[in-house]
Amino acid sequence: MTAHRFSLAETLKHVMLMVGALIVALPFYVMLSTSLKSPGEIERNEGGFFGAQAVMTDEYCVKRNEPDRAAIEAAMHKREGLDEAGARREILAGVRETCATRPAIFNYVSAFSQAPLLLYLLNGIIVTASIFLLQVMVALPAAYALAKLKFWGRDLVFGLVLFCLLIPIHAIALPLYIALAKLGLTNSYAALVIPWTISVFGIFLMRQFFMTVPDELIDAARMDGMGEFSIVWKVMLPAAVPALLAFAIFSVVSHWNDYFWPRVVVTGDRSLFTPPLGLHEFRGGGGDGSLYGPMMASATVIVAPLVVAFLLAQRRFIEGITLSGMK
Amino acid sequence: MSTTSRAAQRAGWAFVAPALTLMVLILLLPIAGAAVLSFTDYSLGGAAPGWVGLENYQKILTQSRYQAMIEATLTYVLTVTPLSIGLGLGAALLIRSLRWGAAFYKTVFFLPAMATLMAMSIVWSFALHPTLGVINATLASFCGTGWLHAWSWFDESCRTGFPLWLGDRSYAIWTVCFVGVWQGFGFNMVLYLAGLTSVPRELYHAAEMDGARTAWDRFRLVTWPMLGPTTVFVVTITLIRSFQVFDIVEGFYEQGAGPSRSAYVILFAMYEKGIRENLIGIGAAIAMIFLACIVVTSLIQQRMLEKKAHYA
Repeated sequence: MTAHRFSLAETLKHVMLMVGALIVALPFYVMLSTSLKSPGEIERNEGGFFGAQAVMTDEYCVKRNEPDRAAIEAAMHKREGLDEAGARREILAGVRETCATRPAIFNYVSAFSQAPLLLYLLNGIIVTASIFLLQVMVALPAAYALAKLKFWGRDLVFGLVLFCLLIPIHAIALPLYIALAKLGLTNSYAALVIPWTISVFGIFLMRQFFMTVPDELIDAARMDGMGEFSIVWKVMLPAAVPALLAFAIFSVVSHWNDYFWPRVVVTGDRSLFTPPLGLHEFRGGGGDGSLYGPMMASATVIVAPLVVAFLLAQRRFIEGITLSGMK
Repeated sequence: MSTTSRAAQRAGWAFVAPALTLMVLILLLPIAGAAVLSFTDYSLGGAAPGWVGLENYQKILTQSRYQAMIEATLTYVLTVTPLSIGLGLGAALLIRSLRWGAAFYKTVFFLPAMATLMAMSIVWSFALHPTLGVINATLASFCGTGWLHAWSWFDESCRTGFPLWLGDRSYAIWTVCFVGVWQGFGFNMVLYLAGLTSVPRELYHAAEMDGARTAWDRFRLVTWPMLGPTTVFVVTITLIRSFQVFDIVEGFYEQGAGPSRSAYVILFAMYEKGIRENLIGIGAAIAMIFLACIVVTSLIQQRMLEKKAHYA
């Protein structure tokens, strides 16, 4: 009897969680599904998940390949008795044929061709990678010094680190923006990266980690004649790999997804857009039905790298991201 | 001994110097800068700035535009914080008591925390589109289902059409809140799951011996008190994250901040004033208010955690 009651409770729990899971997954479903459908299917909200994938004509492609004067004259020349309108019609039919495509291919090809999505992705990689590398270069030695070296003023510096943990970048965005503008650095990679070079959270995290590294390890390295500088990079860095990995995930996820700061410092130059910024601009380009397919394809491309990485290495990701709670 | 300590002295300062310099230049000076700017009418490239004293703050307290900002921000923060914590805790408790499938739900619920919020806001705004969107289409497909019509809102909507969601001022901020909860509760769930693993099993046995028979008793007497520090932590970071809402509003509304400024959240106001309209003085005043909210929240957290530590 209890077994029966228990399984009822279990079923009820699954029902509740399943409803929640469906709501949470809904936008992902909508995004993927819409990125596969034709404009007509999107407008009529039909076609299931994959759409019918019926052959459609890519109107942008047709427009791009509009027959010019020379082509029409050449066609008239080739066949006697063909008038201009007829030649035009014939060429256009050929163009329409070559521009025939499947909706899914159309959406993803337009995502990459209507906006320089590839460039945005590249920017995203450049910015997130530089931020992470600089953060580590600045934070790692500082964390080592705060954890393992006794020097005058150490507590004061650590106190400052703790104080700075309280400061959200949004609150200081305006003075930073002015400073960058005065230096002529807005609309540059530098503006996207510089404010993030200092990660007090990274210092804090790595210091906590270094506290657990035994002093003997460092003493042994000193006995071997290593200087403090090589100790940081040759002893502490390898020892800190687990902490660094968690920090890397935290850093990359927050900066790949960040929209606020790029929005502040990249005011006009499209060639510097990071993925979220590019997507927002894409949206600004017009909102009629035929754009939703390519737009959802772009969203998929931008969201995919982190989501896929997360699905492959969930535990590491959750660890890395929950650390951000401390920030 | 003295040489090594002198070496440590030198190395220590050499190693913290870059971090310290950047900390001062990028974090500390700008705070002072923002504070000073908030008392001026500075604008980038404009005439020499004038000292206006408290005028910017006065405007924020009196003008209707900023009342809309305060209202939208508080609505968002006070809705999203309890809901995303409650749902996070609920999901964690349910998932932890499951016999199978826990990993699956955990993955799905955490997914929004990974996905680019700007992209997902745009997807939500498409899903909520009054004619193209899947939400209203699904709701409308239930029209004619007898028992649902007992719900007056549903009955009414079936006759007059389902809401515009983003375009209707009475729904806009709530829709923004909904996406905020959707995005944030999985994160809280993970923190609570971590907190739950640290509750000792023996406490439940002890409580049962003392007569705690129902699941509710066990929750009230053991789980909830043991989750105290986790809850303080979760409440603080959820509050802080809620004050920072920006992407959703930008993803939903290309211009402005929703119908009749109903989603004019604080960071959006700061961005609009400070960057878009180049009224840096007032933008800085908004930033200072924002900073105050964050700092006060953090200080309360520290006090609460200290208190907890005394109990332990």
